[in-house]
Amino acid sequence: MGELFGIFQGLADGFGIAFSLNNLLFALLGALLGTMVGILPGLGPSATISLLLPLSFKIGSPVSSIIMMAGIFYGAMYGGSTTSILVNIPGEAASVVTCIDGYQMAKKGRAGPALGIAAIGSFIAGTIGVIGLTFVAPPLAEFALSFGPPEYFSLTLLGLLMATLIGGDSVVKGLIMVVAGLLMGSVGLDPISGAIRFTWGIHMLQEGIDFVTMAMGLFGIGEILFNLERVLKTNLVTQKITHLWPGLKDWADSKWAIIRGSFIGFFIGILPGGGAVISSLASYAVEKKVSKNPQEFGKGAIQGVAGPESANNAAASASFIPLLTLGIPGNAAIAMIFAALLIQGVTPGPFLISEKPDIFWGVIASMYIGNAMLLILNLPLVGVWVQLLRVPYSILAPVIVLFCCVGVYSARNSAFDIWVMGVFGVIGYFLRKLDFEAGPMILAFVLGPILENGLRQSLLMSAGSPLIFITRPISGSLIAILVFFILTQVVYRLTWKKPGAPSGC
Amino acid sequence: MRKLTCRLTVLILGIFLMGIAAGPAAIAADKFPSKPIELVVPFSAGGSTDVMARLVAKFAPKYFDQPLVVVNKPGGGGITGTEGVVRSTPDGYSLFVGYGSGHDLVTPHFQKLPYDTFGDLVPVSRISVHSIVAVVRSDAPYKTLKEFVAWGKKKDQVTAAVSTKAGSVDITFQALAKASGVKIVTIPFKGGADAVRTILGGQTDIGGNHPSEVMSHIKAKRLIPVGVALEERDPSLPDVPTFKELGYDVVTVGSVKGVAAPKGTPPEVVKYLAERFKKVCEDKEFIAAMTEIGQPVMYQGPQEFGKYLKDGFNTYGKLIKEFNIKME
Repeated sequence: MGELFGIFQGLADGFGIAFSLNNLLFALLGALLGTMVGILPGLGPSATISLLLPLSFKIGSPVSSIIMMAGIFYGAMYGGSTTSILVNIPGEAASVVTCIDGYQMAKKGRAGPALGIAAIGSFIAGTIGVIGLTFVAPPLAEFALSFGPPEYFSLTLLGLLMATLIGGDSVVKGLIMVVAGLLMGSVGLDPISGAIRFTWGIHMLQEGIDFVTMAMGLFGIGEILFNLERVLKTNLVTQKITHLWPGLKDWADSKWAIIRGSFIGFFIGILPGGGAVISSLASYAVEKKVSKNPQEFGKGAIQGVAGPESANNAAASASFIPLLTLGIPGNAAIAMIFAALLIQGVTPGPFLISEKPDIFWGVIASMYIGNAMLLILNLPLVGVWVQLLRVPYSILAPVIVLFCCVGVYSARNSAFDIWVMGVFGVIGYFLRKLDFEAGPMILAFVLGPILENGLRQSLLMSAGSPLIFITRPISGSLIAILVFFILTQVVYRLTWKKPGAPSGC
Repeated sequence: MRKLTCRLTVLILGIFLMGIAAGPAAIAADKFPSKPIELVVPFSAGGSTDVMARLVAKFAPKYFDQPLVVVNKPGGGGITGTEGVVRSTPDGYSLFVGYGSGHDLVTPHFQKLPYDTFGDLVPVSRISVHSIVAVVRSDAPYKTLKEFVAWGKKKDQVTAAVSTKAGSVDITFQALAKASGVKIVTIPFKGGADAVRTILGGQTDIGGNHPSEVMSHIKAKRLIPVGVALEERDPSLPDVPTFKELGYDVVTVGSVKGVAAPKGTPPEVVKYLAERFKKVCEDKEFIAAMTEIGQPVMYQGPQEFGKYLKDGFNTYGKLIKEFNIKME
């Protein structure tokens, strides 16, 4: 009880700090910048925060600068969906999966509802995430620590099973894409043996293929190349824009996707290592699994936008938990905020809440305000973005290519990455022509390395005994879920065929 | 319409690729420095080298005539960004920060680099040395290295979390295994942060990291530092004994964090830079800020620093040979 009182007391103080005119302005600035870099393909929150680090010394107050940086981070999750939906180019790594159904919605003239539901879902999920951050941060952070290599292995195995769910109609094509994704994920230095794999002597490839670069090539550039060879109408929208805002039916279709996405995002987001990306993929797979019309996915299902876009926002909020309570940065953008705190002379960790309550609570309170600002900021923008689709494709396409080149270059200051994007653009073009789905490849690409490292690290830990995956409680439970899942599928198939199943196939 | 689209797209791609090919044109300078100086960090923003570079840049305006600007060029484990500096115009405006990292002292023993780490770079200043500190979880049944060794000897194997395969930390623990007689299996992770997490979570028995990566956890009393692999004690962890003091003859130079310029940089430019970096390193506030984050300031001038790096390189070479460490 006293603890709860302490939380409310802290939060009240935090709002006092966050509502100061100065900090409100910094939150707004962060939200604005975040939305912008979210929209610009390739340019991500971590690159932006690193560019702004020198500025943060000038701000002087650590609270204000962290409020702004946090705003950039979660603001980017709002903006990331925009280009995914409008032109099939992921603005952010966590919005890659949004391309699949978001772009299809836009092509059907439903860009408005897609953008609207992404903004609303982001707001709901972001707020749920901050509420979680407020009340259950310390125990959850401890829980996240109990995830070691065996737990990551079991979790990703479960995730890969989902990869088979997010593909299209053809299982064989889906499997081909999974294998291709796994292979591409293994490019670079093998962390366990130190061997260099599939780099053809190119040092830039030693750290592997960059996920955003690959996704931008596959989805965006591939799409543009595909469109170039067709006789194009003057703009992208093939049908009349019927609704600008999500209707009641859209809302009814997506409300549970938003709630599920929020919780998936929150729990996966606590785990270090690309929480926002994996949670958006997981949410997409779950939505497809629970949907009554899974065949709609890939053709413009609104749940395929609402779920992942909610998940990545909840994950963004949740990823502050290990940073603020344990001093562990879980992803690149959070690592930048960690560095900014260090440079300001503040060491994040368990003592932050007692030694620097103004930072701990000030930042959390600002996230409630920032999310509200982002909703207000993004909803009117929907109308503007939809108008963008009226721009003739002959102008839009080159501009998109321009932004993609700038974005990819700026991420690592590397011209090589522009070539990589080009290569994936060509691959993406052929995949489109041959009717392969990129979704399973993307998921396998993200999960493959985690799976492989988890397996090999675990076996090193156990001196080669695979029992380590079953005897540890969390890993064992995950494996049990996996087995249960496979068994229900088998039983379902068997019983489904029995009553008067047509002979043959 | 379609033709126009094609042309514009090709045009823009073309402009970009041309820009890539041409590269930045060299601008002749009157008196050094006449424009901002780039500090190229060949690692991601937010890492320990990056934080150091940014702290240097923060204090630089007091001592330099032009601002220092930090630029991150991560990739290839540091090789890509370093190569960029090696190939840049040797005018002192593009400096490599982190000279003495793993890709300078350890990697060349396993892999041929696209440049000569010692021949193609001119040492400017050593800023800091990141020691390798062994840490254990505070609720583990051992609180010192002696206790750990006694505990480990009863086991078939114990596990040590290390940041990279065949990196400085990995080599240190393999050497410690040999020196102590405990069967230590090193488990490589993708970077120090991941390794620290498994020590905190109790999935590994011991681990090694640079102090900057574990300082906050040491302060929070979640991790106990039990030994340092330097010749002398680490100024940021003055209470922690060295391995040598404890009777295990494992001494490395850890990871050195210095500044280098491309070969051919005019000596007077190197002299100017070294003098100014020295002043930054003597700044009381800078020293305090660096110590706080576990990166003790240990300045050396160009000649001393060059010799120190060569020695460090040879030490790792000796250890790698002695323990027959291989990359597959």
